[in-house]
Amino acid sequence: MGQQYLFWFAQVHDDFRIPELQSVAEIHGFDLHIPQDLDASRPFCILELDHEEHARLLARRCILIRSVCEFYARGSTYEELHERVRQQRPRWSCYIEDTSFKFIVTAYNHTIPQARQREVVESFSYMDFLGKIDMKSPEIIMTCFEEYPDKHGTTRPKDEGDGEFKEVFFGRLIEEGSARPLVKKFDVKKRLYYGNTSMEAEISLLMANQTLAAPGKLIYDPFIGTGSMAYTTAHFGALVFGSDIDGRQMRGKDKQPGIIRAASQYGVAHCIIDLCTFDVTRNPWRCGELFDAIITDPPYGVRAGAKRLGRKSRQDKEQPPTSPQNIAFRRPDDQPYIPPTKPYELSSLASDLVLLARYMLKPQGRLVFFLPTVTDEYEELDVQSMLCDGMEIVANSLQNFGSWGRRLITIRKATTEHFAPPSFEQLDNVAHIPAHKDFREKYFQGFKKSDVEQISELSDQG
Amino acid sequence: MVRLITHNLLACHAKGCTSNNFPLQLKDVQVELRDAEYNADFLRGFISRIEWPALVDAARQLGDTSLPNEPPEMMDDDFLQKLHHVLLEIHIEEGAMICPNCAHVYPISNGIPNMLLAEHEIG
Repeated sequence: MGQQYLFWFAQVHDDFRIPELQSVAEIHGFDLHIPQDLDASRPFCILELDHEEHARLLARRCILIRSVCEFYARGSTYEELHERVRQQRPRWSCYIEDTSFKFIVTAYNHTIPQARQREVVESFSYMDFLGKIDMKSPEIIMTCFEEYPDKHGTTRPKDEGDGEFKEVFFGRLIEEGSARPLVKKFDVKKRLYYGNTSMEAEISLLMANQTLAAPGKLIYDPFIGTGSMAYTTAHFGALVFGSDIDGRQMRGKDKQPGIIRAASQYGVAHCIIDLCTFDVTRNPWRCGELFDAIITDPPYGVRAGAKRLGRKSRQDKEQPPTSPQNIAFRRPDDQPYIPPTKPYELSSLASDLVLLARYMLKPQGRLVFFLPTVTDEYEELDVQSMLCDGMEIVANSLQNFGSWGRRLITIRKATTEHFAPPSFEQLDNVAHIPAHKDFREKYFQGFKKSDVEQISELSDQG
Repeated sequence: MVRLITHNLLACHAKGCTSNNFPLQLKDVQVELRDAEYNADFLRGFISRIEWPALVDAARQLGDTSLPNEPPEMMDDDFLQKLHHVLLEIHIEEGAMICPNCAHVYPISNGIPNMLLAEHEIG
């Protein structure tokens, strides 16, 4: 029977909390039992762990953990809380005799006035701690959290509703979340090289944790762009390969490629194995089963659409594909040849990515990527239907932007079978049409069916 | 960049070029040596994915003759250190990789190889 621990999460990305805990537990090779009825949308949760060390490991790697406490009690009133804390006496009686301590009283969604903070501390006087109070470096820190309902967007006096909390929690602090400051370290604005579609630091870190990045692992980003996720995965010790159809994104303007400059800033340039310019649908990989994880944010077209080699079909009719001689003839001598590209529709990109991952990943390897989707039309089948034999969903976390959102999908290769490389041919007979199909068009049409029709009517007239 | 580990994993992928398309030949290359972090477990795990003769040839072309013709049965630290250096610390910064079969030229500039295919080379 393990011990109970109280986890306090940052007030963001609640759908990502549990998958991150599970991934970090897997990195360190211990089991984490998540109760079925756990409400991960709340900032506090109580989990049972076999060892205190496990709680520390989670706090040192999970981006979303603010702190972890040894859990003593919870209650909807202080009377209830104190009664339960008294029952737990054997757990804290060892600190009575001679341990320096301090108390912290804090709240979620609220600020407790100092006078009442003192009152609360004094209400624990029955614990009879005899050691000295040390505000700077106490041996133990007892923490009391009050959880208030979200009052966001209302104007009210600062102390209104003080004491009307949903629930109060009490425990002994064992570790502050030390991975959370990485969000500042990887801040895109302070990065030497980034682009207008660079992924924000916090999400890049969450994605890196989903890949189980660790020293000795090899991780691939087939749409590396400006390298946002390469820095965070490399920070956790993994070696990273990157490719992109557009070499300009990886290079930037200086002689030294932009991704290498930014990686040097973070001290991980030696972990960027190589960057290559190619279209992942026409890739030069000699063999499969190379990577421990594939991490990517496919361009889905809001600011930059996905492209693959080839010509748009309409242009085909107007001008036949050029022969090699023509290409050489038309190109000025000082310009490198740039092959034509065509748009890459998101739902085929997503299914191709899963097939590619099955070929390129080692067994138990993970594919971690973002899938944008239309909030009202999304159904679970959208994600299920892009899977193929041997690939299974590990996590699916929503970042909601209102009418649309993006889902961080984690998929595991749960097979040791060998597979052929994918053909990347477009399938015509798809049984299920997912909400993310033609996402770019839907985005610009504001996700409204009626508008879509109006726009197409207007363009017909024009 | 373009370390020999990468060179060992890339084959020509032009349309119809399916045999004798590996290893790509190195041409007019400029090499730089840069330290990388040594990880014996990574090397031991990766060695099964390496095309050994291609790696030995490429290293010798670039003046590194430390690797034996066959991978040894006993992977001691001395050998792994040499393998580490060849795979991860030799960087081709400029030059080109050429397909031995179809002669497609993949140029390398500022350490990034351009593996894009022309329109007539895709299926």
